[in-house]
Amino acid sequence: MILKGMLSFDSIICDFCPSDRPKLASPQEISGFLAQVERRAFKQAMFAVRDEDAALDIVQDAMLKLTEKYAAKPAGELPMLFQRILQNTIHDHFRRQKVRNTWTTLLSAFGKGDEKDDDYDVLETLSAKSDSNATVDPAQQFEQGQIVGMIEQALMRLPPRQREAFLLRYWEELDVAEAAAAMGCSEGSVKTHCSRAVHALALMLNAKGLTL
Amino acid sequence: MTADDDNFSRKLTGYLDQGTADLKAGTVYRLQNARAAAVARLADPVGVHASESRLAHAFAGTGAQGPSGGRNLLTSARLWLGIGIIVAAAFGYQQWQAYQQVNEIVELDAQILSSDLPIDAYLDQGFRNWLTRDEN
Repeated sequence: MILKGMLSFDSIICDFCPSDRPKLASPQEISGFLAQVERRAFKQAMFAVRDEDAALDIVQDAMLKLTEKYAAKPAGELPMLFQRILQNTIHDHFRRQKVRNTWTTLLSAFGKGDEKDDDYDVLETLSAKSDSNATVDPAQQFEQGQIVGMIEQALMRLPPRQREAFLLRYWEELDVAEAAAAMGCSEGSVKTHCSRAVHALALMLNAKGLTL
Repeated sequence: MTADDDNFSRKLTGYLDQGTADLKAGTVYRLQNARAAAVARLADPVGVHASESRLAHAFAGTGAQGPSGGRNLLTSARLWLGIGIIVAAAFGYQQWQAYQQVNEIVELDAQILSSDLPIDAYLDQGFRNWLTRDEN
């Protein structure tokens, strides 16, 4: 309680010294930031929920929450805030899914059809054009695709907290303190999860004959 | 974390970056739409969306959160409506039971006062004991 009081007092003092306050993110900066992280955020959600539609919904929710509630934050805080929102949204998804499953278990037998096939669109299966692949020969591209697939599968098999820590620290390049804030745990836990994740990934990939 | 681990992790994330470059066109399109919707919300903070958001905040934590504030609000409104109906039904049932009990007592009292005792009263052993004690 005392700490909270001190923090709010500090924030009041800072209102009188605007030069010390970090610059707030402009709409262009926020838009640019979202464009930068959207694909990685989608992949992160995919690794966790393993369902494309759910992953897209999660990313959309996270983006909306960021712009609605945290637009008035400094640009430097956006990566950590967005990651925290994203992780919370993923956890919310699992909570909702658990509640939904308890109600639909009895009715699930009636719903087993080829519903996904109705939404199938061949155009959606084509990869987006990427300039980085323009000069790569097909054999190399195929091999890289296989390696990426193996790495992604190994990531999906990791325990959720280890995967979160690994992705936040190395893919999102957050420092230990930021990753701890985004995960809602201590810095020591982040280090432990990261270390275990790296060793588990190395073991899984070695078992498949892949050495990096 | 050793330097080897660090190096290994950097190589892994390099491959992961390649994976993001090869996303399906439909997925990329939907991500762009999601970003556009989020940025539009940013550009219109005092419009309809803002009021939706405020109302959604008022109901925060009571329902599932959908991709828009409107959906969240609708879910919360349904939840509160359901709770209200259950509470009203429980209160009504309790009131009706209390009314029935009072009615029964009033009827019985009226019959006793008019010396028109129901047959149940004579069959009741306790009542017969009370009558005999009164005669003695």
